[in-house]
Amino acid sequence: MTVAVSQPLPTTVPSRLNLVLRGVARFFQRAPLSAFWGVVAALIVAMSIAAPAVAPYPPLKSDFRSMQKPPDEKHWFGTDQIGRDTLSRVIYGSQASLTVAFGAVLFGTTVGALWGLACGYFGGRFDMFSQRVIEFLQSFPDLILAMAIAMALGGGLGTVIVAIAITRIPFGGRVIRAVVLSLKEMQYVEAARGLGASHKRLMFRHILPQCIAPYMILATTHLGVAIVIEASLGFLGVGIPPPNPTWGNMLSDALNAGLVPPWWLVLFPGVAITLTVLAFNLLGDGIRDMLDPRLRGSV
Amino acid sequence: MYSYIARRLAFGFLTVIGVSIMVFVVMRILPGDPLVAIFGPEGFVKLTDQQRANYMKELGLSDPLWVQYLAWVKDIIRGDWGHSFFRSESVADMILRRGPLTAEIALISVVLSWLVGIPVAIVSALKPNTIADSAARFLSILFLAVPGFWVGMLIVLALLFWFGYRAPLAGAALFADPVANLQLVIGPAIVLGLGQAAYIARMGRSSLLEVIREDYVRTARAKGLNGRLVISLHALPNALLPVITLSGVLLGLVLAGSVPVERAFGTPGLGFAMYTAVSERDVFVMQNLVFLYAAVFVALNIVVDVMIAVLDPRIRLS
Repeated sequence: MTVAVSQPLPTTVPSRLNLVLRGVARFFQRAPLSAFWGVVAALIVAMSIAAPAVAPYPPLKSDFRSMQKPPDEKHWFGTDQIGRDTLSRVIYGSQASLTVAFGAVLFGTTVGALWGLACGYFGGRFDMFSQRVIEFLQSFPDLILAMAIAMALGGGLGTVIVAIAITRIPFGGRVIRAVVLSLKEMQYVEAARGLGASHKRLMFRHILPQCIAPYMILATTHLGVAIVIEASLGFLGVGIPPPNPTWGNMLSDALNAGLVPPWWLVLFPGVAITLTVLAFNLLGDGIRDMLDPRLRGSV
Repeated sequence: MYSYIARRLAFGFLTVIGVSIMVFVVMRILPGDPLVAIFGPEGFVKLTDQQRANYMKELGLSDPLWVQYLAWVKDIIRGDWGHSFFRSESVADMILRRGPLTAEIALISVVLSWLVGIPVAIVSALKPNTIADSAARFLSILFLAVPGFWVGMLIVLALLFWFGYRAPLAGAALFADPVANLQLVIGPAIVLGLGQAAYIARMGRSSLLEVIREDYVRTARAKGLNGRLVISLHALPNALLPVITLSGVLLGLVLAGSVPVERAFGTPGLGFAMYTAVSERDVFVMQNLVFLYAAVFVALNIVVDVMIAVLDPRIRLS
């Protein structure tokens, strides 16, 4: 990074919005590929929010005059077995995927991070016990654990979020704990402790703000995984139940349609999943590179 | 070395116990009323109180939880893995019949991931920022994003569409009918293998890039060893250590991925059985299968750890 010495000192304090805009501009300059996919991700999010305006048909409305029709000018992505428009269902399906992904990652990473903060800060027996529990959680393949929890709680939006969130907890716990362990020994924390700061103040006022960068990295890198798990749960019939469209249960429906599933019912939801995951993964890579230069270029 | 293995095994044993408790909590306590989980909310309402009490007693669900847990563990150890509500075959028999197919898929996919991932990683790392490297990185990023089960569906569809071919639906043992068996396992193995290969190529590339900058590699070059030997004899063995660890972690991806992928292909393996158990809300079969998957994952990770300790004296001796 170069420092422009000749630049005159700013006379006014830049506003928060300005700072954010400048950060975004720098992101575009330094990681154009990630920024491009970030725009794609933003478009997908916008599409999902504006679904009622964007989708040509209501997602649940069946048209019995055009059932299982291949793509044409009226239905760009074709229609399913009971004449619902696939394009509209793919657009509405993004709502489920994104709600679950954001909800689960936010919930799981936050719980994990707070747990990791407590483990790293207090150490001792509590930490020992917690590390074992986290190990047990990590002994399950992600999807298997999510399947079991989703099945036990019964399908639905909330349970799918919880099921996926629980599989994300160990990651937050591990990473933040490691960060906290090193922060705890820093002099400024020692100084604050010397001044008589309480545990609460030390944890939330002095240590937690330093954990924001790793938290952001964790959250963005796990969005893609969460979307894939959500789609898999939907595909296996333990996700958000039909008739509400999700990309996963649309693929499942396609497979149940008959011995030979119509190609358009298979192709489009999968493309939607792939594009979304790709966008979030690459955006996450860019954010990670920017927030943590040490990791640049590695896995 | 032996003390390391013994320690690792003891630790693994503890983990399996912890995992069993967790499975029990998730499958038996989380659903609240297990009958709701079995019959579904609507079916549950239709049962009379008498029926409910009978079912609870029959399934041993009226005992205290710790008694139920111990009874379950005892059954697992004895090899009595229970029965499905919907099928006559015992779960143990089903695992023995279907397990080998899934194990075969997993094994082939791991071999495949190395066969594809490592050469790609070597090319990428030796010629960084060339067209080949960019192509390899683009493909691996793409394969990290594509859900395996969807690729499976596309493959099945394409084969059907263009060749009118469909893999046999019935199970076939490896030795009884190798041709049918191969047709069953090859599709899922390719899909799962390519998924892992993407991770392995990425990891292998960065690990190899790091290693070839080290002094001992430069020394090997300086003493006049030819480039190929420097890479294969000096750089690769060290660069592969983190890849082996990763491959162990990826086994979780294979085990879990086999469930939707086997459904996509219609492969009659253990993953498909798990899908059936989930869709039929067969709690007890699910409980045992989840435990089995987790226990196998723990065991495989021990194997990988021991393998790394054998290969890397730094770990063995610390």
